Amino acid sequence: MGICRWYGCSRLCGRCLLVDSRSLLVITCPADWRQSAGPRTFSQVIFMSVTLSPEIRPHVFSKLFSYIRQGAITLLIFGLLALVTSLQQNLDRRSDGQVAKIEQLAQLPGGEYLKPALLGYHHLGADLLWLRLLQVWGKKKNTNNEYEWMYHALDVITTLDPRYAYAYYVGGVALANYANRPDLSNSLLEKGHHSNPSEWNLPFLLGYNYYFALGDAIKGAEYIGRAARTPGAPDFLPGLATRMHAEAGNPDVALQFLEALWKENPDLVVREKLETRAKEVLIERDLRILERAIAQYHNDHHAFPLSLTDLVSRKYLERLPEEPFGGNYLFDAKTGRVTSSTHPTRLKVFRLDLEGGV
Amino acid sequence: MKVLSIAVNTFRENLRDKLLYNLLIFALLMIGSSLILMRLTLGEFHRLILDIGLGSINFFGVLIAIFVGIGLVSKEIEKKTIYTIVSKPVARYQFLLGKYLGLSLTLLINTAIMAAGLLAVLSFQDVPIHAVLFKALGMIVLEFMVITAVALLFSTFSSATLSAILTLAIYVIGHLTKDLKAFGQKMEGVGRSVLEGMYYILPNLDRFNLKGNVTHQLDVPAGDLLMIAAYGMAYTAFLLTLASVIFQRRDFR
Repeated sequence: MGICRWYGCSRLCGRCLLVDSRSLLVITCPADWRQSAGPRTFSQVIFMSVTLSPEIRPHVFSKLFSYIRQGAITLLIFGLLALVTSLQQNLDRRSDGQVAKIEQLAQLPGGEYLKPALLGYHHLGADLLWLRLLQVWGKKKNTNNEYEWMYHALDVITTLDPRYAYAYYVGGVALANYANRPDLSNSLLEKGHHSNPSEWNLPFLLGYNYYFALGDAIKGAEYIGRAARTPGAPDFLPGLATRMHAEAGNPDVALQFLEALWKENPDLVVREKLETRAKEVLIERDLRILERAIAQYHNDHHAFPLSLTDLVSRKYLERLPEEPFGGNYLFDAKTGRVTSSTHPTRLKVFRLDLEGGV
Repeated sequence: MKVLSIAVNTFRENLRDKLLYNLLIFALLMIGSSLILMRLTLGEFHRLILDIGLGSINFFGVLIAIFVGIGLVSKEIEKKTIYTIVSKPVARYQFLLGKYLGLSLTLLINTAIMAAGLLAVLSFQDVPIHAVLFKALGMIVLEFMVITAVALLFSTFSSATLSAILTLAIYVIGHLTKDLKAFGQKMEGVGRSVLEGMYYILPNLDRFNLKGNVTHQLDVPAGDLLMIAAYGMAYTAFLLTLASVIFQRRDFR
């Protein structure tokens, strides 16, 4: 029986030796613990173990060593973790992550092969692919190839889940407006319209693509008509469809159409594109007003006006229209042609001389 | 009565299995993770929660069914505890049925816990819950019951590892039998009848998959549901009978 020299306790109730590995700081009898402050810091513990009686010393030392060993193991684990992280970062830097991601889309197997391999989890597969596609889409500008791959990914997603109407719609908008690929957009939307006849916004978007991007107003009007007949379609669609049929190529109808689409799209980039398109249509409307006034002038005077302001001073126009992009309208007094300084070529949809135009 | 007491015992034994808890915790983590993934997606984030939730319930349930199911009989034989049961006045089919019911009960409770997790996430995100969700969950449980019966059948005549591989194979094939039929129809003569025969003998597990209906809120007519349920039950009965016949002839050494 030894004596704890630190506290002078001779009872050695056993608690001193049976301390659990985490409570080394409590090497004392519980009764004494309450009376004195006891050792608190590491150095105090070491000092205590030196002054302890020889019987207890080995136990305390073994406890101390086990602490040191645990600390070393913990350090080793964290060190290995840090090493793994840094190696991984190094590897990531070596292979350009972004490029790899987009190229992987091109390597996706076709939906019809992927679907059976997913053993009934194909809806989840479509979700995960959609998530991956969205991460790639975050880039501001993509190359033409990349848009083809994205179309492929959208095709796979919609084959896995043919009723994923949202993917068709967003994909259709993006392929037409970001990528300028109305052909890809249309084939995606056609597929969607075929499997989801109850979704009105798919034919609506098809109509938009035909009307504006491909300059086929008749086909555009036909799709808008189809969208209008779908249950749940907004009230303005039937009116728009009839007007499009009757006055295909009228800029006012086109502006209404654009406004309708603008309301349906919360995406800021898409809205910006639609606003630009609306301004282009406004130019077309202004040019038509100017052309009409010039024609009247030519009728009355058998000569073209010297400048556009002549039209106002001779009361053919109330005022000159403002060019929506901040430029101005240029007039050639010899030929009598008006053009916009910012958009010298006119919109295809309204040109009679182009194939498919109205 | 004998069947019931074996079932209750099996259930208690299953509760002591650490594998069960690991898989359950993983499933709940997966369901919870949909809350994080949801922030990355665009548009219909509801469907992400539903797809991940139902997918995890299904996947982890199948894992439990297979990896607990294969041990039901083979473990008893390995530990020689089967002698104490077989020597009592208990028919072998009763023993099998008890084992099967015990694991089915475990799976039912497991599915209920995972479904509760999914429902909690759904209500936390204010996702409307439709009746078809519960129908799909019911069908998932039915799929577990068929797979458990498959695992039990294999474990009556082969080792645990081999049973696991065979059951996994049946699970994969069970989702591809539609193609088996399609291939068969393109063939002539013997090939055709062999493939068609396989199509009818193998379980068509795709029938129990209503996960897509939940995502798109497409209701399933009650008549169809009843037919699917009847198919599941009948197939399970077929497997269990087969297992009893094999187990009856089994010599424990």
